[in-house]
Amino acid sequence: MSELGAMRDQWYPVAMTKQLTAQGRDTLLMGAPIRVFADDGGTPKVTDGAGRALPVIDRFGHVWTSLGQPEKDLFTIPEVDQPGRRLVDVGVCRVRCSPLRAVENFLDIAHFPFVHTDILGSEPHTEVERYEVEIRDDVDEVWATKVKFFQPQAAKSAEGGITTDYMYRVCAPTCSVLYKTCPPKPEEWDVIALFVQPLTETLCDVWPYMALYDDDAEMTDLIHFQQMIFVQDRSVLENQLPALLPLDPGREIPTRADMTSIAYRRWLKRHGFTYGAQLVAA
Amino acid sequence: MIESDAPVTLDDSGDTVPTDWTPAALSDDIPAASAAPGQLGAHDLAIWRSASGRIAAWADRCPHRGMRLSHGFVRGERLSCIYHGWGYGEGGRCVRIPAHPELAPPEAIRVPVFSAAEASGVIWVAEDAPDSPPPEFPGLAAFRSLQVAAAPEAVAAALGGTGTVIEATLAGLSVVALIQPLRDGAAGLHLLAPEDSDPAALDALSAAVEALRRRVEAAEEAAA
Ligand code: FES
Ligand SMILES: [Fe+2]
Repeated sequence: MSELGAMRDQWYPVAMTKQLTAQGRDTLLMGAPIRVFADDGGTPKVTDGAGRALPVIDRFGHVWTSLGQPEKDLFTIPEVDQPGRRLVDVGVCRVRCSPLRAVENFLDIAHFPFVHTDILGSEPHTEVERYEVEIRDDVDEVWATKVKFFQPQAAKSAEGGITTDYMYRVCAPTCSVLYKTCPPKPEEWDVIALFVQPLTETLCDVWPYMALYDDDAEMTDLIHFQQMIFVQDRSVLENQLPALLPLDPGREIPTRADMTSIAYRRWLKRHGFTYGAQLVAA
Repeated sequence: MIESDAPVTLDDSGDTVPTDWTPAALSDDIPAASAAPGQLGAHDLAIWRSASGRIAAWADRCPHRGMRLSHGFVRGERLSCIYHGWGYGEGGRCVRIPAHPELAPPEAIRVPVFSAAEASGVIWVAEDAPDSPPPEFPGLAAFRSLQVAAAPEAVAAALGGTGTVIEATLAGLSVVALIQPLRDGAAGLHLLAPEDSDPAALDALSAAVEALRRRVEAAEEAAA
């Protein structure tokens, strides 16, 4: 288990709470078989391959667990408690890629015109203006702010193109939260989170989760929109070489538009979060 | 039977056919302004044709974030990566980074380039620049490509030859089979048939080569 390094003691999503049954879900967490189920009282439980109980948190519509002993509580997303938000568990999307590559893709806006053509971006509006990135030591999170990008159809509830503002937050090695312009409520942010369950170093289950101000859209439409976006991302994620995320500079060539990804990689390396990563190409 | 690995004699003129090229695809399978994946030994290739018809074989990996370039798109004389649209031109050089339209991409951003050439409707690739062009087969036209889940040697042997270029008779037609080693012990079989073959003869050839494939794969499986 030593190859799990510091990632062993982190929290990971392993199921959608409302889909839990007594029979449960057999799945993997970083190569280890686990079972997620509801006990007689309906409380989520997780056991490892030996039947040993693992720690459990039920939050954001998902069940979270850890193979180790997390020192910290699972992060919070204060916005989800604001009244009037619709909380959407999108469901699961399995991707044959490193869990870290899945998160990095989520932090990236430059691919919108090419991967989410005419939805999240479109040519010729491809320029990524300078934005701000920092590793916030007090909360130990990566933050990107003042991110702007032109979007032809920014969300299900957006009509026509707008310049959308974004903030990105990496709050756990395989979890990120993005805040974006909320067309029906300009003073607020829509919240879209990506919770990634590392099954192995090159296979993951991705659980998107949203907290939106959107009174009009049907829940199924919101879910389908997000699933369509993710299926487009999957076509890229399953075709990157190498499959593992290179943490040492040199193997790939970032530009200024990739400042969030650079900071994410640096933060991963600093913490020894290397499950799904490649260190020094052999 | 024509056998090769060393230069071989292929036609009556006594010309020799160098085999330092590897057959990788048929020209018709990569039309103008398109890209497809290919292999050369351990290398993954992006084989692509520009709008004006030029063929090229590059490493199938974008230097930016490692996306396979064979999934990319071709505009004019440029291959662009599908992930962030970086555009690559002559010699694999990056010429455009859409996220920074004003920036002239540094010289150093390059995709490794392989040699690629076409002859008799076949796309040939090589790691270095071979001294002579790939072989022509007068009177023959590229017919179809198949993948066989068996060692290249086994496929060649089933056709009665060895090496890369094999002359054989299949379904009553004098054909040339080009054998390409693929990863995981598989082989590519690129078939050329007489130019004037009628459709019924070509159908029979297809059936014959598929039967040959089944036979070789079954033998390979039995041996495993
Ligand atoms: S990975 Fe090719 S342009 Fe980004
Ligand atoms: Fe995306």
